[in-house]
Amino acid sequence: MLARVLEAHGIATTSISLVREHTEKIKPPRALFVPFPFGHALGRPNDAALQHRVLTAALDLLAAPAGPVLADFPEDAEPGDETPGPVQASAVQAAAAAAGDAVAETKDVLRAHARWLAVHGGRTTFGLSGIAAERFPEVVGFLQRFAETGEGDVAGRAADVSLPAFVRWAADDLKSLYYESRLLTQPAATGAEIARWFWGETAAGHVLRRVRDRLDASEDPRWKAAAFGVAR
Amino acid sequence: MPRLDRLPEASRKGLLALPVQVNDTTPFVRPARPLAAARLALVTTAGLHLRSDRRFGPGEQTFRAIPSDTPAAEILQSHTSIGFDRTAILRDLNVTFPIDRVRELVARGVLGGLVREAYSFMGALREVAKLESESGPEVARRLRDAGADVALLTPT
Repeated sequence: MLARVLEAHGIATTSISLVREHTEKIKPPRALFVPFPFGHALGRPNDAALQHRVLTAALDLLAAPAGPVLADFPEDAEPGDETPGPVQASAVQAAAAAAGDAVAETKDVLRAHARWLAVHGGRTTFGLSGIAAERFPEVVGFLQRFAETGEGDVAGRAADVSLPAFVRWAADDLKSLYYESRLLTQPAATGAEIARWFWGETAAGHVLRRVRDRLDASEDPRWKAAAFGVAR
Repeated sequence: MPRLDRLPEASRKGLLALPVQVNDTTPFVRPARPLAAARLALVTTAGLHLRSDRRFGPGEQTFRAIPSDTPAAEILQSHTSIGFDRTAILRDLNVTFPIDRVRELVARGVLGGLVREAYSFMGALREVAKLESESGPEVARRLRDAGADVALLTPT
């Protein structure tokens, strides 16, 4: 409905839609429905040709004489082998080895992640928690204590970030470190394979399952919301 | 998808249970210029922002400006719902925010240009009243001031 607001103020818009059923109701001026999973609006990562086809199809709608226009992107294939929905922790059986030393594991992951940064010109989705990557073994120690007691903190947590929000950002950052490091050695792995590895085989995944349980056990809706964002 | 009939049942039911605005009419303006002469603005609901910027909180109806020449390494996504696969944006920002693709279209002459700032909103909003009355119109005003003719909106 943001497109409608911009259009009502004089800007001609075209949108990419991932949920056709919602777009049919909202009726933005021009929308291209794409048959891709959430997180893949332009198709496939690092597939410039497909991204250009999607982009061109969306921009072509600007020539329509009247609206609303809801067009379908004609390529009816899944991008790669991705599953339609993301793989959640509850769908993955954790291996016994996943209960290992998460702090030591994180130190290893950090070494791999430094190579990711070097290869990708510094680009990383890490950085939401505001805590430097080299301190993440300490953050993992905090997450372990938090999972056990519901208490603890990390020096440097911003004053305007609540504890459950910080736990969520720290969990997101930890996933970024692990996922990017995994992609460095398994560049062809699907998102589903990366998720199965994280939740099934890593000690960090084991810690985050327990963090989720601790947050979810609270009566506070902010804690429950954070739990829903850490693992399902 | 997500074609709804291919999503896991829980995801499908969750999506269909979301409050969705139902509209009968649609605002519609024709672009003032052909694409080859038009200036495009990128607008996203992916919760992107500069690394140095304040993160989005869940449900936040504000926006962040992202200068169009920002390197990908300086862009973060604080919309981190685990309802979507983050490995795509982790591999390539363009899969959600096609800044490099748009620059290529400008270089090829398909587009006239790119306005100086892109704008980003949070995704998965349940409440949109302030977006409709305040932050959305403010972004429209900024886009007009920047000479935008058309805008491309991308979700995540």
